[in-house]
Amino acid sequence: MATFLIGYTIIALIVLFVLFVILVSRRIIFKNNAKIQSIFAHPLLIYSLKRIGSALISVMLAITATYLLLRLKSRTTICQGYIENWQKLPVDVREVRCDSVLKDLGLYGNSFGEILGQIINYFYKILPFPKTICTQETGTDIIYDAFNNAISYVRVYDCRTFIIDLGISYKASGTDSRYVIDIIFGERMMHSFRIGILAVVIELAIGYPLGVLMAKHKDGIIDKIGKTYIISIDAIPGVAYYYIWQLLLVYIIGLENRYDASNFASWLAPALTMGLTGMAGIALWVRRFMLDEFNSDYVKFARAKGISENRIMYTHVLRNAIVPLIRSIPASILGALLGSFYIEKIYGVPGLGEYLIWANDYNDMYALQGIVVVSAFISILAYLAGDIVTAMVDPRVSLASE
Amino acid sequence: MAKNIDEVVEFNTKDLFTVVGNSDDEAEKLESTPYSYWGETFKQLWKNPLTIICIAIIILIVIMAFVGPLIKQYKIIGAGNKTTFDTFENYLPPSADHFFGTAGAEMKPYDGQDLWTLVWKGTQLSLLLGTVVALIDTFFGIIIGSMWGYFKWLDPILIELRNFINTIPSILLYILLMQFLEPSFWTIVLVLCMFGWMGLAGFIRNQIIIIRNREYNIASQTLGSSSKAMITHNLLPYLISVIVTVISTAIPGAISSEVGLAYFNLSFKADDQVTLGQVLTLAAKDNWIDHIYLLLAPMVVMAPLTICFFYLGLALADATDPKNHR
Repeated sequence: MATFLIGYTIIALIVLFVLFVILVSRRIIFKNNAKIQSIFAHPLLIYSLKRIGSALISVMLAITATYLLLRLKSRTTICQGYIENWQKLPVDVREVRCDSVLKDLGLYGNSFGEILGQIINYFYKILPFPKTICTQETGTDIIYDAFNNAISYVRVYDCRTFIIDLGISYKASGTDSRYVIDIIFGERMMHSFRIGILAVVIELAIGYPLGVLMAKHKDGIIDKIGKTYIISIDAIPGVAYYYIWQLLLVYIIGLENRYDASNFASWLAPALTMGLTGMAGIALWVRRFMLDEFNSDYVKFARAKGISENRIMYTHVLRNAIVPLIRSIPASILGALLGSFYIEKIYGVPGLGEYLIWANDYNDMYALQGIVVVSAFISILAYLAGDIVTAMVDPRVSLASE
Repeated sequence: MAKNIDEVVEFNTKDLFTVVGNSDDEAEKLESTPYSYWGETFKQLWKNPLTIICIAIIILIVIMAFVGPLIKQYKIIGAGNKTTFDTFENYLPPSADHFFGTAGAEMKPYDGQDLWTLVWKGTQLSLLLGTVVALIDTFFGIIIGSMWGYFKWLDPILIELRNFINTIPSILLYILLMQFLEPSFWTIVLVLCMFGWMGLAGFIRNQIIIIRNREYNIASQTLGSSSKAMITHNLLPYLISVIVTVISTAIPGAISSEVGLAYFNLSFKADDQVTLGQVLTLAAKDNWIDHIYLLLAPMVVMAPLTICFFYLGLALADATDPKNHR
C-alpha cells in the first residue's frame, strides 16, 4: 500500500512540475522573478520536456501498431504457446482452456471495442508507477483459528511489486519458472549489457585512435588499410562477417567459444566481434570530422601563425572533432542493453537479442511487445541524452527554440 | 643565387611572339573541348584503376551467375519441389566434379546438393532481388524525399513516421509482416521496400533543405516557378551525384537485408530456387568448422560482390560531383 501511495505521489509531483514549468516558461506566473525564471524556464529543461512529449507520441503509435500486428496472430497460434500438450487435448477441452488463457492474458475478445480496451489496458500496465504482479501459485496456506482448527484455505501467489508491468510470459525460457517478463528482461539485459559495454569500450579504444591516424596520414598506408576495412564492414552482410570473426577469434586465436557469465575470458569473443565491427563506423566519422576541421579557417590561421602541427592537432582539431562523436556515446551505451541478435545467437549469450528470436519462435506475444516497449523507451532516452550531452560539451549549440 | 637577373634572362620579346594577324574564323574556335557532364564523369571514373577492377568483378560475377550453373548441369531443389534433382553424398570436399563441394546434412532442403550450382543460382536471385529492391527504394525515396524536403507542412508528419519506424527493431518488423504474407519473391521485395525508402528519403530531404533557400531557388520562386518545376529542374539535378551513389550502395544493402531475413528463416522457398542469403545462413548453421568450404563457397561470391558495388558507389560519388571535374 505504501509503495502505491509513493508511486501516485511521484506521478502527481511530475505532472505538477511539468505544469509549473509550462506556466513559468509562458510567463504566466512568476513573470518578474528572475531566479525562478532562470531555473524553471531553462532552455535545457524546456527542450527535454518538449522532446519527451513529442517522442511519446511516436512511441505510443509504435506500441499500438505492433500490438495490433501481434494481435492478428490467430487464436490457436497464441494458445498453442501457452498450453502444454496442446496436440493431445480434445478439441472441446482446447477451446475451454484457450478461452481461460486468453482471459488471463487480457486478450479475450476480438471486437473493435474489446481490442481498444486491451490496448488501453496495456498502456496502463506500462505506465511507470508501482504495481503488483502475481504469477504462479506457490502452494496453499491453511489458516488456523485460535484453537488450531483449519478455518479456510488460501491460495498463495508469488507476488512482487514492479514499476512497469510488461506482462507474463507463460513459456519462460529454459526450465525455471520465472514467468514475469520484467524479471526475465532484467536478467537478460544484464548479460547483453556486459558484452555491449565491453564492446563500446573496444570500439572507442580502437576506433577513435584509428580515425585520428587515418586523418593525420591521409592517403597514407594506414588510411588505405583503414578505408578498406571500413568499406568491407559496411558492404558485407553482418551475418557473414560475424562468422569470419568467430573463425578468427575462436578457432585461430583460441578464445572461449561459449559465453559463460562467471568467466570473464569467455566474454571477450562476443565483445570483440561486436567492438571490432562497430569501430569501423566510429573511425569513419572521426576521420571525416577531423578532415573537415583541418580545412577550416581557424586551423589555417593557426598554421599561418606557426603553431606546430602536433599542437594544432591536439589543442584545436581533436577537441572540435570529438563533439559530434560524444553525441553517439549515450546511444551506444543504452543500445548495449538491447544486445545483438546474431552475436548472442552465435556465442550463446542468454541476452535480450536471443530472447527476441526465442519469443518469436514460441509466439510469446507479451515478450515481443515488451521488447518493442523497451527499445522504444531506450531510443527516446538515447536521443535525449545525446542532445543534452552535446549541448553541455559544445558551447555553440543552444537548445532554445528561438 | 643569380648574381643579377638581367644576366640570366635575356629579354627579347620579338623572339617570343609572332604576329598572326586578324582572322574571324580563328576567333570563333574554342581551344578547350566543350564540357559534357557525363563525359567528364566517366573520364573521372576510368582514371581510378580500382574502379575498373570493381566493375570487372561485378560483370564477371553477373556472367558467372548465369553461366556457372550451366557448366555442371546439376539440378537443385527448393522446398516442396517434386521434380527430379541431383543429390550426392553430404560434405564432399571441393573437387573436379564439385568445384565448391557439396552441401552439408543440416542444410535442408539442400543437403547433399552441388554447392557450385547452389551458389550461382543464389547469386542470380540475390542480384535480381537486390536490383529490384534498390530501384523501387530509389524511386519512392526520391519522390517522397524531394517532397519531404520541399513542402514544409509534410515535415512533421514524415518525421513522426520515421521516429515510429526507428523505435521498433527492424528485424521484428520484418517478422511481424512476414507472418501474414506467403513468402515469395514479390512479398520479400514488398517487405524490404516497405521501410527501405525511408533512409533514402530522409537523406534527400536533408540535402534539399540545405539547398532549398539558395539564391537561385529564391529567384526562381519569385519568378513564379511551380513546385513541380522547382523540384525537377532546380533541386534534383543538383542531387544527381547523391542519387547515383545511393542506388549503387542500395544494391548491396538489399542483398544484406535478404541475408538477415534468411537467417530468421523468413526468406522464400520456391521450386528450384535459392538465394545467396539462404546458402550462407544454412552453411553458417551447419558444421562449418570441420568443413570450412561450406561457409567459404557463398562468401567468395558475396564478399567481392557487395564490396565492389559499395566501392563503385563511393567512386561514383566522387566522379559525379561537378566540383571534382576538370
